[in-house]
Amino acid sequence: MIRRLITALALLLAPVTAHAQAVSEQPHTRVELIAASRTPAAGQMLEVGIELTPRAGWHTYWKNPGDAGAPTRVDWRLPAGTPAPADLAYPVPGTLVVSGLMNHVYEKANVLTTRIAVPAGLAAGSAFPLKVQVDWLVCSHEQCVPEQALLSLPLTVGTGTPDAAMAPRLAAAAAALPKPLAATATWALAGKRFVLAVPMAGLDKVKSAWFFPEGDLVITHVTPQQVTRAGDNLRIETDAASPGPEGAVAGVLRVEMADGPPLGFAITANQGQVPAAGSPLASSGSSDAGGGEPGLALVLLGAVLGGLILNVMPCVFPILSLKALALARGNVGAGEARAEALAYTAGVVLVVTALGGIVLALRAAGSQVGWAFQLQDPRVIAFLLLLVTGIALNLAGLFEITLSTGNLGQDKARSGGASGAFFTGALAAFVATPCTGPFMAGALGAALVLPTFQALSVFAGLGLGLALPFLLIGFVPALRQRLPRPGAWMVRLRAILSVPMFLTALALAWVLGQQVGVNGMAIGLAGALGFGLFLWWLGARQHGGKSLALPGLASLATLVAAVALMPTAAPAAGGQTAAASELDAVKFTPAALAGLRQQNKPVFLYMTADWCLTCKVNEKGAMADPRVAEAFKAKGITVMEGDWTRSDPAISAWLAEHKRAGVPVYVYYDAGGGETELPQILTADLLTSLKA
Amino acid sequence: MRLLPALIAAVLAAPVAAEPVNGLPAPDFTATDADGKPVRLADLRGKTVVLEWTNSGCPFVRAHYDSGTMQARQREARGLGVVWLSINSGARGKQGHVDGAGARAEIAANKAAPSHYLLDADGRIGRLYAAKTTPHMFVIRPDGVLAYQGAIDDRPTAVEADAKAATPWALNAVKAVLAGKAPAPAVTRPYGCSVKYAG
Repeated sequence: MIRRLITALALLLAPVTAHAQAVSEQPHTRVELIAASRTPAAGQMLEVGIELTPRAGWHTYWKNPGDAGAPTRVDWRLPAGTPAPADLAYPVPGTLVVSGLMNHVYEKANVLTTRIAVPAGLAAGSAFPLKVQVDWLVCSHEQCVPEQALLSLPLTVGTGTPDAAMAPRLAAAAAALPKPLAATATWALAGKRFVLAVPMAGLDKVKSAWFFPEGDLVITHVTPQQVTRAGDNLRIETDAASPGPEGAVAGVLRVEMADGPPLGFAITANQGQVPAAGSPLASSGSSDAGGGEPGLALVLLGAVLGGLILNVMPCVFPILSLKALALARGNVGAGEARAEALAYTAGVVLVVTALGGIVLALRAAGSQVGWAFQLQDPRVIAFLLLLVTGIALNLAGLFEITLSTGNLGQDKARSGGASGAFFTGALAAFVATPCTGPFMAGALGAALVLPTFQALSVFAGLGLGLALPFLLIGFVPALRQRLPRPGAWMVRLRAILSVPMFLTALALAWVLGQQVGVNGMAIGLAGALGFGLFLWWLGARQHGGKSLALPGLASLATLVAAVALMPTAAPAAGGQTAAASELDAVKFTPAALAGLRQQNKPVFLYMTADWCLTCKVNEKGAMADPRVAEAFKAKGITVMEGDWTRSDPAISAWLAEHKRAGVPVYVYYDAGGGETELPQILTADLLTSLKA
Repeated sequence: MRLLPALIAAVLAAPVAAEPVNGLPAPDFTATDADGKPVRLADLRGKTVVLEWTNSGCPFVRAHYDSGTMQARQREARGLGVVWLSINSGARGKQGHVDGAGARAEIAANKAAPSHYLLDADGRIGRLYAAKTTPHMFVIRPDGVLAYQGAIDDRPTAVEADAKAATPWALNAVKAVLAGKAPAPAVTRPYGCSVKYAG
């Protein structure tokens, strides 16, 4: 009786305990042991897997866990005579940065697999129980918990028939493993940078990629990886670890594709020659926007519109007005007007496209530059300062230059003729770069991720927009006739137009001071003074009808000397913009931003630069409004400033990620995790109405 | 031409990325200990110094204290004239954060024996050394040069038995420094929970 009771109890309990042993529900992870067959055949390999399913908000780790964490460890307890299985194979991991530390993780169910050799000679029907002790670390953003479970799966030796429920899961697990790469990858060190080149097909579909090294001392895990296409290679560049790698470097390459699920490749790279940085990935845009990338036509339209608006910017308008006056002289024939308009357009388009081409080339060479990057060099600012001062003095009537001694495009412009028009265009385009306006940023940002030819066409579109008003004046006689008749008022207007030009010079001098300190600014101003004095002398000799070679040479020499003497080193670091201190802004770092967003704190982030006039207008205007500071404080919005006055790789990387070629950029991150890009012309009302 | 400003910007922008290098002077710092006293690394010149990043809520740290191995190593090292600094870079509101009183209670509960327990809630020292995990260990020579950085031992688990049986890399590095030798290994991969920095 008692024996029957025990048997009944055992029958009742048996399936329950067997089930409980293959699956274990831990506080933060569900773990299950699975096998491809419940009746494995003797003498054959049996696919087995351990599935870890972290709860929402938790993650388990890849075999190289990254900066912190730990890999999963197993201790197999197999029937006698069964050899120890190979190490676990891990599926392709993901990246998770917490407080500036990189974690290589799985945030969803993941199956670690291996194969067990079922010994030959086992009789069919004999028991073949699998048992394994699993130890793993499961972490949230706040804490880590080591968990463990002893799992077992009672199998019986048989014919090896696949299990209908478990075999497909193991097949899916096998598909999630990184695939061995047929081609040989290569790595090299360039200074403190680690460069990996992976030959690969279908590079035009690659959206992004990340290299996970198996070893510890290969790369610094958290450094952003710059991925480019160099010929047939996917080229990845990042910071090398210290000490750097030696010999063969193994790891997994995760590749996000434009069309389809991410791919994973197991690679072993040998040290060798790697190509120089190539072109940006074709489609790094977000593919979740339904319509995908904005079409090239739309981007071009934005570029043309942006160029058109540039015409009224304070650094461009006076030059253009002069050209208009030249046409308004009234003695210009229809054919001549058309020729000048075309020459002017050619000058603008050429300079804009050339600047764009230089940006693309430098980016391809691995340099993180953006539009107006040349303004990060104080020598360019010094050159612009003198140039603008010269233009302003010319407008003010201090001197005229005939074509024979002309070395300033603007003065060539005044001399009339096609070559004059060409140089006016070139000058307008060059001086326009600090004035990034509405519509431009989006178009230029898109251009940087387009293939080279299309990108250049976007830059050309910008130039076309800038040239459009004159193209119209040149080709539509009706418009030309509407220009006011020439007269004495022209001299006065010219003098008035020198005022915005002098103001531009003042702004440039201030930028110079920000960049290289008060000494650099003094050199720039001394150069401007000397340049101005020589131009004055030149003007005086002009009136006297004397040779202009001497003062012309002297002013040119001053220009060269001022640029050459300009220090390029930054002054002692530190220092915030005025807006930053008023709004109590913190310095932008990717880690700080990620941290605030994790804590669900609202953040107003702006990217600025001293040479960006639009930025300064916003900072002196809307952002300086006391109501804004009050509203931000009341709503607990943290203000974060990224200053791109000098090149900063972290900001360049952020801009690239947001498909922006330059500053300003204003983004609001709300507490709910949403991200809104604000317009480039801010108003105090807009800022105070942001919802925490 | 833009290299210098770019370098300066890079150094300022990425304090985490600037990892300390063995064989170079260890970055100097001043911190407040559990008793409110300032401790300056430069003042400890002439002594071998151990930095131990800690977080009492971290299971890896717990395994070393609950097994008694961490305290034993602290006592052994201090017996050899070494200054042992436990550093807590847990930000306010995060796991393991303590104030002075909390730190003193933690030392008493663990019967721990660091020379000082340094409070680094703003993560300044942690970022300076790019401390990634708890525990993360550094050994500094009497001349102020960094000699060892990485794991406390060769068993990256949160298991007490492993803590007892492991090869104590950090303590071995201390002994190598005291014997005037270079530690081997001198750089290992730190393991454990991530340091709970602010932001």
